[in-house]
Amino acid sequence: MGTRIHVGAKPAAFYTTATYVDSKVAHPRTVALRIDEGAEALLISEGNTELACWPLKDIRRLRDQAASEGMVLKQIGLQNLARLYIEDPDTTRLLLARCDAPLRKERPMNRAKILMWSVAAMASVAVILFVLIPNMANLMADRLPAKGERALGKATFQQIRSALSEDEIVPLQTCTAPEGMAALQALGERVSRGVELDHPLQIHVLDDPMVNAFALPGGIIVFFRGMLEATQSSDELASVMAHELGHVVSKDPTRHALRSAGSIGVLGLMLGDFAGGAVVLFLTEKLIAANYSQTAELEADVFGLERLNAIGVGTGAMAMMFTRLQDAEGGPDAEGEGARFLRYFLSHPLTQDRIDIALKDGPTPQVTRPALSDAQWIALKAICD
Amino acid sequence: MAATDLDTEFVGRRKALFGLALRTTILTIVTLGLYRFWMKTRLRRWYWSAIRPGGQPLEYAGEPLEKLLGFLIAVVVMAFYIGVVNLLLMFASFSLLNSSIAAYAMSFIGVLPIVFFARYRARRYILARTRWRGIRFGADAGAWGYAWRCLAHWLLTIVSLGLLLPRQTFYLEKYRADRTQYGSASFTQGGTWRGMYGAMTHQLIGVLGTGFLSLVGFSGAAPEALYGLILSIPWVLYGWVSYRVRSFQYLTNHKELGEVGFDANPRPRRVLWIYLRGWFVIGLAAAILGGAVLVAVLLAIDPSALNEAAVQSGPRWLYFAVAVPFYFALFTFYGVLSHVMLTLPLTVHYAETLTILRGDRISDVLQRDRDDFAEAEGFADALDVGAAF
Repeated sequence: MGTRIHVGAKPAAFYTTATYVDSKVAHPRTVALRIDEGAEALLISEGNTELACWPLKDIRRLRDQAASEGMVLKQIGLQNLARLYIEDPDTTRLLLARCDAPLRKERPMNRAKILMWSVAAMASVAVILFVLIPNMANLMADRLPAKGERALGKATFQQIRSALSEDEIVPLQTCTAPEGMAALQALGERVSRGVELDHPLQIHVLDDPMVNAFALPGGIIVFFRGMLEATQSSDELASVMAHELGHVVSKDPTRHALRSAGSIGVLGLMLGDFAGGAVVLFLTEKLIAANYSQTAELEADVFGLERLNAIGVGTGAMAMMFTRLQDAEGGPDAEGEGARFLRYFLSHPLTQDRIDIALKDGPTPQVTRPALSDAQWIALKAICD
Repeated sequence: MAATDLDTEFVGRRKALFGLALRTTILTIVTLGLYRFWMKTRLRRWYWSAIRPGGQPLEYAGEPLEKLLGFLIAVVVMAFYIGVVNLLLMFASFSLLNSSIAAYAMSFIGVLPIVFFARYRARRYILARTRWRGIRFGADAGAWGYAWRCLAHWLLTIVSLGLLLPRQTFYLEKYRADRTQYGSASFTQGGTWRGMYGAMTHQLIGVLGTGFLSLVGFSGAAPEALYGLILSIPWVLYGWVSYRVRSFQYLTNHKELGEVGFDANPRPRRVLWIYLRGWFVIGLAAAILGGAVLVAVLLAIDPSALNEAAVQSGPRWLYFAVAVPFYFALFTFYGVLSHVMLTLPLTVHYAETLTILRGDRISDVLQRDRDDFAEAEGFADALDVGAAF
């Protein structure tokens, strides 16, 4: 215990003045302070009138005050707005020594209420993110007119190009060597022959070493340069394209784009603007949007195989690719072509089912012809040169 | 009875604020942002308690947990609005207009009324949690009325190429002020919007001067006129600061609280100096921090070769190991320095140049009821349009 103030029965050893407001009227009063030792309380009086009597154990000091000297005191309880302003450093020291717990926190709110609201908030955000938005996106994807779908695809493509670019201003470049483009177009026409499409296919190659390919709304299919380099024959590339065409036909990318348009704002809201919020936001959105459902992938596989059969391209290519993936040692973090390939297919989950489908797929067409001629394949390989 | 004026003093020290801001910012980062509700509360308590009109400090009585609760409530409402409404807008604009720009514009415009709504609610919350002499401040409901007035005034200001800005500033402040109370007394905003044009003088000189000089210079009539831009462009900057300070002064000096009046005398040059000095210090700190990190990286990669090639060949994890703490350090210093070098000196200046006229009449003001505020400033927080501190 600090300084003890001895107060006799009659003369008050502790006697000082301070400013007091009673919380009823905005009138600051100069008051006398005295400790009533019997009642263990601080008496606040103006002249002969006693204005207040605060039990010492109930006195609290306001926190985080800017003044380096003095203090503001109150009586415990949020409803108590009466304040005692003390300027004098000595009085501050002496009085603090007599108060039992001037800094003990008042518990202002029911914690159960906070907890309940936290759970409710999480639950409703989860419902919005994982039920409402996906379902709305599914409904909308089927009703979006063809022109609108293409516009959505173009906008998404622009966003992806900007996001992947290392340069802030210039988006990631596409490869456009004319012979290569012609070969790519020929491959697209062959793979989609006989399929009814809302849009003519639009195929791009992005100049990036990533081993990846994806479809966008409105019949846009995009390969990365890395994918062209990793495939060993035009048949393999045709099987990737047939798979992506499966997504185009089932409108998976449209659903996906609409869904991320809805969820990105919600995530931004939740994570707020605190340091690196944007970074966390980007990563989280990536996580959520990483892949279509396993069913969608399987359907795209089945569609792809049917396509290859229909156009007379050997389906062995797809099976071979899957086998190469399985043989790839070292897992997704290793370097080397197989592992990089594997990493791409992680977003297209590889299961035994899918390999089985590829291997056991019905009768291989009687006559097979490579997806592209040798000359076309060479031109396509050189599309980025 | 002779009237007595009350001066306002400011008692906070920069060093103390630096410590408080630094500690709370670090805690905010460590808790992934959760502590920000406590940070805001504690900083406000500090600022409020430093401002002492007539010798008694203001008191900020907001609670961190009510802010957290308000944020959660706002998240539920806004998640629905932003998620579902944005998606519908997106769908509509792609279906009908085949364009994403329309969708972005629509969703921006769609969120605007909520931003203004949130600002009014946040102001009302802060007033409801502000006390002086044990008496509460407060504001009337009216956030939607404020939101559509904001939209209308902004539209007018944009259409009039900014010439009606004083009208906007005046009427929006009048809307807010006329709904503000201190205990049983109500504020009233006097003056006229035309009276605000005096505040715009330097702004107009700067903008018109720059326009004229550019016209003459770029048309080829007198290319040397372009040198005048060296003077006229900073003038636009000064004009902007001057408008903010002088319009504040006009509006404050035309406010009344019953018989009580106000006399604000902030000086535009002082405010400009605070801004320039503050941004200079922040920029310098960022440059020093960035330079130190760059040197550290270079030395870590290859102590002998301080050149660009070394940076190119460094392993990727090294960038992360350096970049992430650097990012957080920068964030921390920006937050702390902007408090110490901008918010604090500005608050000091505005507080110390404010006199409350006939302040003795305030003694008759009676207490008002507590304004329960379930969502606190949750919407402003969720939308990140909160007050400066």
